[in-house]
Amino acid sequence: MSIQITGSMLLQGVVSGILAGGLYAMVALGMALIFGVMRVINIAHGTLLMLGAYSTFWLFSLYGMNPFLSILISFPLLFLVGAILQRLFVYQVVNAPELSSLLLTFGISIFISNMAMVAWTADYRSVEFLTGSFLLGPIALSKPRLVVFGFALTITELAFLFLNLTKIGKAIRATSQQRDLAQVCGINVRRIDLITFGLASGLAGAGGSLLSVMFSVFPEMGQIYVFKSFLVIVLGGAGNYPGAFFGGLILGLAEGLASLFLSAQLSEVIAYILLVLILLVRPTGLFRGRV
Amino acid sequence: MKGLGWGTVLLILAGLAIMPFFVTNYIVTFAIQIFMWIALAQSWNLISGLTGYVSFGHVAFFGTGAYTAAILISKAGWHWFPASLMGSVTAPLLAFIIGYPCLRLKGPYFAIAMLGLNEVLRALVSYFEDFTGGGNGISLPPIAELQPVYYAMGGVALGVVLVTWRILTSRFGLRLISIREDELAAEAMGINTARLKLYAFLLSAAFPGIAGGFFAWYSSHIEPLGTFPFLTTITMIIMCLFGGKGTVLGPVLGASILSIFQELVWARFLFIHQAIFGALIVAVVLLMPKGILGVLQERYHLPRTI
Repeated sequence: MSIQITGSMLLQGVVSGILAGGLYAMVALGMALIFGVMRVINIAHGTLLMLGAYSTFWLFSLYGMNPFLSILISFPLLFLVGAILQRLFVYQVVNAPELSSLLLTFGISIFISNMAMVAWTADYRSVEFLTGSFLLGPIALSKPRLVVFGFALTITELAFLFLNLTKIGKAIRATSQQRDLAQVCGINVRRIDLITFGLASGLAGAGGSLLSVMFSVFPEMGQIYVFKSFLVIVLGGAGNYPGAFFGGLILGLAEGLASLFLSAQLSEVIAYILLVLILLVRPTGLFRGRV
Repeated sequence: MKGLGWGTVLLILAGLAIMPFFVTNYIVTFAIQIFMWIALAQSWNLISGLTGYVSFGHVAFFGTGAYTAAILISKAGWHWFPASLMGSVTAPLLAFIIGYPCLRLKGPYFAIAMLGLNEVLRALVSYFEDFTGGGNGISLPPIAELQPVYYAMGGVALGVVLVTWRILTSRFGLRLISIREDELAAEAMGINTARLKLYAFLLSAAFPGIAGGFFAWYSSHIEPLGTFPFLTTITMIIMCLFGGKGTVLGPVLGASILSIFQELVWARFLFIHQAIFGALIVAVVLLMPKGILGVLQERYHLPRTI
């Protein structure tokens, strides 16, 4: 049952992989920020993404709002949710052993996703907004994926500009490089924690909004993105924010090629093998040294 | 005092040993469930409670054991007992493949690798349909009597509790705890942390492997969603945390209390089952990080090794 793989199919796999990777990078950037600043792996990151996806779905199906426009609502909404979670719970475990923060965010995550199930049922919902694809020579570019890629890239770029140019952004990076020293320099790290958690949750929410255009929306949709985001962070090297961007592209590419040569069913397995191999060979990430 | 404690333990064990002859099948089934949860919660305790490395995918070893036994029974015609024991070979094998690269590193790598493992195993089981029966699963002959499973599952639970006790009273256990408290300092004192973490992890995978085999036999049917549900991992974690992680009797207490609660109260609120567990995890982590037994140990100056 070997299928002849032609050059155009290969190109197709590469292109759709990169398109998916843009979104991975954006979602992972949020998780990388929280990890960098607070040393907390936020297991609830995927759940926040799910909330973003549902807010887009409801705005679309109840008020007919353009899903891409709804990012202007889902981002601030999730920023608020994230800031509240940080203020109520997560701040208590920032300096605690890893076990506490992992379990705490895990508990939050299963609580929220169960509540979403109760409120909105486990049905698979979809936002049918953009369909069809552009034909570009031999390859077909799915319209929603292309537009989503554009938005993901723009939002990621805006986030980088924020981190690099604004005073708060610089304070976030300083805290992530040396928390104690940042505090000595007069940075209110508690406040930075709050802003970082909000920003990261906002990114997850925007990611959910974009995902809803391509895939089904359901309460447990986010779980796999916790794992994928972490893989992206590992690929890029922890604390290396531009690295996380390339990590996202690499993961997308690997999955695109895997579904071409093996089976789309196994794309998660490929991602997993990638993680184990990277940890075995190059645990510091692919792009060592640049922070 | 010490003799009194041992006397109580022996009395309880003797009571449990003759119990199936006097009670209804319902009670026996319920007891099997509690034994299973004790074995699972205690296994989670072995890696996460002792070393502090959180395993978010421990159900994978349970599922591996279940599939090992089901395939050996249905395809190779094995007797259920040795078939289930083989789970203590296959599950640690899987644990080695993940643990070797991930436990060499400090930090959250292990936790996330275990989180991803669930999805991977489910995809693999569905993909290799010929071998595993795919989404339909594997059916086994219905069992004739419950008593053998009762003793088998009780044996696993007792075994893992005894192993935990033995570890906690040994240098191996002290070394594991030193990893949990300060891994860098443990390394500086000459402890080979990577290897010890791996040993603890292999042990903690072996028992769910066996329990999974017994579970497959006694439920006579397994399929990917029923055998690898995320809820199983959540349940083990909360039972262990609630009872007291890093202790011998904590997971036993947690598993027994929460199983009874589950049977009596939450069975009516199945739709918010996960939310209750989620809230309970948050509450225990923030308000009672040492669990019930931990609180009792502090208040009544009980020994650390119970």
